[in-house]
Parts: sequence; C-alpha cells; structure tokens
Amino acid sequence: MSDTTRPGSNRPILHFGRYTLMWALAVLALAPLLWMFLSSLRPTQEMFAHASSFSWHTIWPETFTFQNYTALLETGFPRAIGNSLFIAVVTMVVGVFVNAAAAFAFATFDFRFRGPLFLLVLLTAMMPFEAIVLPLYMLVNALGMIDSYSALIVPELANGFVILMFRQFFAAIPRELYEAGRIDGASWLRIFLTIALPVSWPVILTGSIMIFITQFEAFFWPLVAAPSAELTVAQVEIAKNISLEGANWGQLFSSMSIVCVVAALPFLVFQRFYIRNVASSGIK
Amino acid sequence: MMTKKPDTPVAIPAANRFSRAARKKPILDPQRPSWATLLMFLLPAVALLIVFRLTPIGISIGGSFTSQSLLGETAFDGLGNYKELFSDPSFWNSVYVTLLFNVIINPLQIFVAFIMALLVFAPGRFLTFFRVSFFLPMTMSTALVAVMWNLLFDPNLGLVNSILAHTSMGRQGFFFDEDQALGSMIWISTWKGAGYYMIFLLAGLFRISEELYEAAHVDGASSWQQLRFITLPQMKRTFLFVFVADTTVNLLFFAPVFIITRGGPNGATDTLMYRAYESSFTFVDWGRALSLSCILLALVAIVACAQMLFFKPGEGE
Repeated sequence: MSDTTRPGSNRPILHFGRYTLMWALAVLALAPLLWMFLSSLRPTQEMFAHASSFSWHTIWPETFTFQNYTALLETGFPRAIGNSLFIAVVTMVVGVFVNAAAAFAFATFDFRFRGPLFLLVLLTAMMPFEAIVLPLYMLVNALGMIDSYSALIVPELANGFVILMFRQFFAAIPRELYEAGRIDGASWLRIFLTIALPVSWPVILTGSIMIFITQFEAFFWPLVAAPSAELTVAQVEIAKNISLEGANWGQLFSSMSIVCVVAALPFLVFQRFYIRNVASSGIK
Repeated sequence: MMTKKPDTPVAIPAANRFSRAARKKPILDPQRPSWATLLMFLLPAVALLIVFRLTPIGISIGGSFTSQSLLGETAFDGLGNYKELFSDPSFWNSVYVTLLFNVIINPLQIFVAFIMALLVFAPGRFLTFFRVSFFLPMTMSTALVAVMWNLLFDPNLGLVNSILAHTSMGRQGFFFDEDQALGSMIWISTWKGAGYYMIFLLAGLFRISEELYEAAHVDGASSWQQLRFITLPQMKRTFLFVFVADTTVNLLFFAPVFIITRGGPNGATDTLMYRAYESSFTFVDWGRALSLSCILLALVAIVACAQMLFFKPGEGE
C-alpha cells in the first residue's frame, strides 16, 4: 500500500482524500438541516409552492421572513426550551457523579454479588422503555412526583448505559495509579475524585453529552409524565405544531432549527477538549 | 502483544517500590473497601435503578402472563400470550423485519461512525466544524427526524424526489415502496445516529497511548498496519460498548415506523417494538404488549451476551 520507507510521501493524497470525505459526510449531515432552516425563513403561503418541480426556489426562499421565529415568542416555546435545558443540565451534572461512582465501584472493588448486580444494571439498560412506561407512570404517581420537574429528572439520573460505558473506561485504568493514593492514606472517595475522574476526562465528557442529549431529545416520557403547560419540554412543544387539523410547517421548522442549535451547545463546548496532546499527557 | 506502560508521574514512585510485584499481579489485590465506602459509591445509582427500572420490569414480566377479558378484568393466563404470538405468522414477519434491520444497520452505522471518528481525530483544520456537522443530526428527537425525512422523501412535495425527477432514476417511492421502505428507515436512522456513536469512538481513540504509535512509526509501520495492529485491538472495549448500545436502540426501533409507515407497506417495516406499541395503545391488549416486550428483552440480552463474548478483551488489556 503505502511506501513505508518514506513516510509522508503519500500525505497530500491522504490529506485530499480525508477532506473530500469529510466534506461529503458534512454535506449529507447538514443538507436536510439547512433545507429545514431555509424553509423556516419562508412565509406560510410559499412553504410548498416550489416543492413539486425543482428550481432554485425549491431550496432558496423567494421571500425571507422572520415571522416564523417571532411568532414562537407568542407560544409556549421559550418556556419549553428553558424547561428542557434545566432538566437536561441538572440530570447531566448529578447523573455523571451518580453513574461514575457506581461504575468506579464495579470496576475497582471486589465484593460479593458484583457479577449478578452488574448484570442487573445491564438489564435495566436493555429494557424497552415503552414497555415500562405504564408501570413507571404508576410508580412515579404513587411517589407523588407526577407532573413535576422531579418526575422528569429523578427516574433518568441512573443510566445503565452510562454505567457500562464508565466501567469500561475505569477498568482500563492501571491499578498502580490508585495504589499511590492508598499508600498516602487517601480515602477511596478522594482517589475517585482526584485520580480516577481526572484521568477519565474523555469518558466523563462523552457521558455528560450522552445524558444531556438523552434528556434533551426525550419525547415519550415527558409527554405522559408532565402534562402541565408550564412543564412542557421543547420536543413536545414542537410536536404541537403537527395536529390532526393540519400542520404549522413554518413554526415547526423554526422551532426545530432553534432546538438543533441549543442541543448542540454542550458538544460544541466539550469537543474542544478532544485534542490529541492534552489526551496523551495524562494527569497533570 | 504490547503491554501498557503507566505513563504518568504519579505512578512512578509506587511502581518503583513495588516494581517486581507490579509486573506480576495487581499489587494490593483484591480491593476490598469497607461496607460504608461500597454503599456510598453504589447505593445512589443502584437504588435509583431498582426503583425506576427493575420494579417496572418486574411488573411488565408479571403482566405478560395475564390477559384481559372483554370486561377489562385482568386474569392469570400462563403462557397464553406467548402461545398466541408464536402461532401468528405476522409475528414471525416482525421477527424477520427486526432482525434484517439490525443485521444491516448496526455494522453500517458503526462503520460510518468509526470512519467519522478517524477523520476528525487526527489534527487538522476546521475540525470543530466537521465534528459539529456530524453530531448535529443527533440533536433532533427521533420523532422529528421522522417527520422531516417523511417530508423530504414525499413522492410529490419532497425535495429529494424533485431532484431525482431530473435524473435518470426518476421519482422513487421510498417509504411507500415495499422494497425501499426498510432501506429508507435504515438511511434515516444512520443519518441521525452515526454522529452520536462517533463521539464514543472518538473518546476511545483518545485513550490509546501515543507511545504505541510512536513505537510503530519507528518500526516503519504503515498507516494501515497501525490501524490494524494498534487502533483496532485497543478499541475493543469501546467497540463492545458501542455495539451493545447501538443494537439495543435498533432492536427497539419504533418511532419512525409509527410516524411514517405504520408497519407498512405490506408489513415491510413492521418491527417488533411497533407491534408491541400497537398492541398496547391501539388494541389495548397489555398482556400481549408486555409479552412482546419480554421477547424483545430476551432478544436484546442474547445479542448483547454474544457481542460481549465476541469482543471479550484479552488478558492484560
């Protein structure tokens, strides 16, 4: 394949191939979203006027308007975005600690019933959520939590998948790292917070994004568990634009565009830490 | 196999003191903390999972052995729901559709995700742009992704078809075509999901010690050899996680089927999870719905176990 005696001889080709592929994938990923965003800038009467026969205006709006965005201010959408952010951020911050602590115990400690207990954790990750919605609803109702923020946050804090992911990473940490701390007389809590968590930053960030996104894109559970208008989350609020009487496409597109940008924010911030030289230096 | 060297300053004093022991076995094994410590770490997560996940699962499994009469009374029915399911040909069609869907989509999605991760891993320009571009589709809920692609693939109003009409392919049926419906489902969920799994694979790539690559470089290994003998073996744990997570999501594939095709055309997209949903909310047959869920749970568990055996990390990893 490549000429190994002269490394770098095929660099320009590799570089060109890499960027061509990245652009192709980026276009595939972004094109539908761009279409959605451009459609959100169309006035209602123009929405599908150019749809059936392809022309420049099938993609590019004839007239630009922000009416679909300003109209959102009159609806429950701003409040819903705030609700979604609040729920997702609280779940993310608390959830990372709860799940990482359990994963650390599974990866590091030796205790009775560790295997069976971990199997139970895996089981919880695999159960079809739709199948437990009704029993879960009855349970949350019995606990007096229905129609409150805690109904949307507390059941989602512990996440079998996040525990599995964290455990996979903690298990790969060399034990010697902890031994240094043990010899200095540090408690396990201290070792967890000052040694295990800092070396695991890629997985902590990934886990945070995972919890945030899971909560932010949740639809079914918020729909049944928090019916009040003041607790409505963004995804449910967006879906209100489609009803049996017809769809408000303009506001559907504008609210979807906003949600896309807001939900991508944590990833936008966290991905900056995915840099090679930071990763390889380990603990500082 | 190359052994992992502790490359951190903290590890050095301990490694010196116990160097001989450290090389043989874990030093102070096994790690047995006090009960209080153990509870502090485990209790919050485990208690939450028992209350909000295992208890409902228990109720579900129990419910799968019951059936309701026309008057709405629930009675124990033993394996009645299961017997009824197994003798229904459309149930076996759903099993076939679900398995076919998974056999194609899981390798495809993870292959694309891994390509994405490799592309945005090495240093380069505009990486923030590409990473965010790949990730953006994930920020939409599955339901809204389905709504959007249903519009894009619409036979008359859809953008994709108005472009295809100008090519030799002509307009396509997509979700309305029995042969294309499942493929279109695979397309939309790969579009949404690939960037999500990219972030896990990207995090996994960052875990690999750079020294391994430097050593390989000194030995004159080609990029392909580095990928084959360093990257892939070192990514086993990550791949295991990603495969299990992806399979679980896709075995339970449901929302787009509900929104776009309702299992059609002619059963081409009739996944098991859609069937369970239909049983519970359309036919209000909870016993049947819960037994379908239990079958799905068993299926997921079997597949996950198989994947764990396949990706079992070797000794010393």
